[in-house]
Amino acid sequence: MAPKNTVRILVGTRKGSYIVEGDSKRKSWKVGPAGHEGTDVYHMVADPRHPGDFYAAVNSWMWGPLVYRSTNYGKKWSEIGTPLMASTKTRPPRFDGNPDTPAPVYPVGNLWHIEPGLPSEPNTLYLGADPHLLFRSTDRGSTWDPIDAINKHPGRKNWAPGAGGACLHTILIDPRDPRRLYIGLSAVGTFRSEDGGKSWKPTNKGVEAPFLPNKFPETGQCVHDVVADSANPDTFYRQDHGGMYVSHDRMEKWVRIGKPLGDDFGFTVASPRASPGKAYFVRLDGMARVTGEGHLQVHEWNDKTRKWRKLLSPTAFPGHFGVQREGMVADDLDPAGIYVGTTTGQLFVSPDAGKSWNKVPFQFPAIHSVSVATTRSGK
Amino acid sequence: MLEVHLDSWLREFGPPTHMKIGADSVEHLLDQLETRYPRLRFKIRDETGHLRRYVRVFVDGEDVSGTTGVETPLKGGQAIDILHSIAGG
Repeated sequence: MAPKNTVRILVGTRKGSYIVEGDSKRKSWKVGPAGHEGTDVYHMVADPRHPGDFYAAVNSWMWGPLVYRSTNYGKKWSEIGTPLMASTKTRPPRFDGNPDTPAPVYPVGNLWHIEPGLPSEPNTLYLGADPHLLFRSTDRGSTWDPIDAINKHPGRKNWAPGAGGACLHTILIDPRDPRRLYIGLSAVGTFRSEDGGKSWKPTNKGVEAPFLPNKFPETGQCVHDVVADSANPDTFYRQDHGGMYVSHDRMEKWVRIGKPLGDDFGFTVASPRASPGKAYFVRLDGMARVTGEGHLQVHEWNDKTRKWRKLLSPTAFPGHFGVQREGMVADDLDPAGIYVGTTTGQLFVSPDAGKSWNKVPFQFPAIHSVSVATTRSGK
Repeated sequence: MLEVHLDSWLREFGPPTHMKIGADSVEHLLDQLETRYPRLRFKIRDETGHLRRYVRVFVDGEDVSGTTGVETPLKGGQAIDILHSIAGG
């Protein structure tokens, strides 16, 4: 008998955040606390090291980027730390009274992704922001240190934003070694660090940049999302502007896997813990940026057989759905739950690794992100 | 002293909507507001010191946001409105 769990879907939208609660069956849902009303929430994440702690990357059109934390499963949110500086974690240099202090040249823009560190570093968080900025906190978000090897990278002069901005949206940590980090930057590509962020190596070999004169540059690829395989932390699945890819060697080289699907454009990918060797992609029309052929499409990649399986029939959820880079996630239950949020506010759930699907009976605002937290019942 | 009126949406960061403050420039005024109410930091202006895109500062009814901005000189008796512009959707 499966253990009883409380499953919470953290939904970041164009107009606020929502916590959606259910149980291990993942078939009935209660839309619980709403927060950040009227404000863009680009990403939310639960901190598995501190049950009940949720973080939200909030981008207020009026007041700028804000980081919020809840310590009670999203019932109440508080702004933490200071919205981030481009070059310092303290007061703006131009206000510190010292005329010799150089001023930052640009403000931090939208916040894109918050990633909790490994259990061995219980107070560490990473945060990716626009324009192509990476920060680390070692005090659970009270203060943030810029990672200068990215934020002052000599190649920045050639880095351009993508359509969503100069987002640093993907942050992955090798579960075996907290010094091995991977990041994804829109219109720049992926990088790997082996030394905790002190130095970075571009890792885009084999990924096509169809929008550039040089189709296979060292950087310039527009990565949309990357996840690690749940059973093999050296294997990664990548949804790029230029298609769907897999790497089996810590991103040293990539192999395109999406060509059998025809148009293999999309923004998001997930790899559930209970489904090692499998990845799930939401395939979009590369021009229209909504699901092609008039229905929601989720495709399963089996990395062992190297075959695709289409999970949804054309009649399941007809329509043209947009799904953004944080729009799909998988939980850690067995069988895996897969969650897909759309830019028209539908939240689709599969409780059985894609065999069956249902829709949360609530019309959300445009969904930017979904993430999921599983805790023992009663918490 | 200046008659300062703040957007009611700023109340979540601490300040009341009306107050009297002495300051000789918009920048000086904002410095003082942020000292009194630290959670206002980076809400009205970003970390480079510029007014955020959708913040408007009026001096005696004149919008200075896109002209002299934070460097606008102030003198006692003036009315300052710090509001958000019509935007969003």
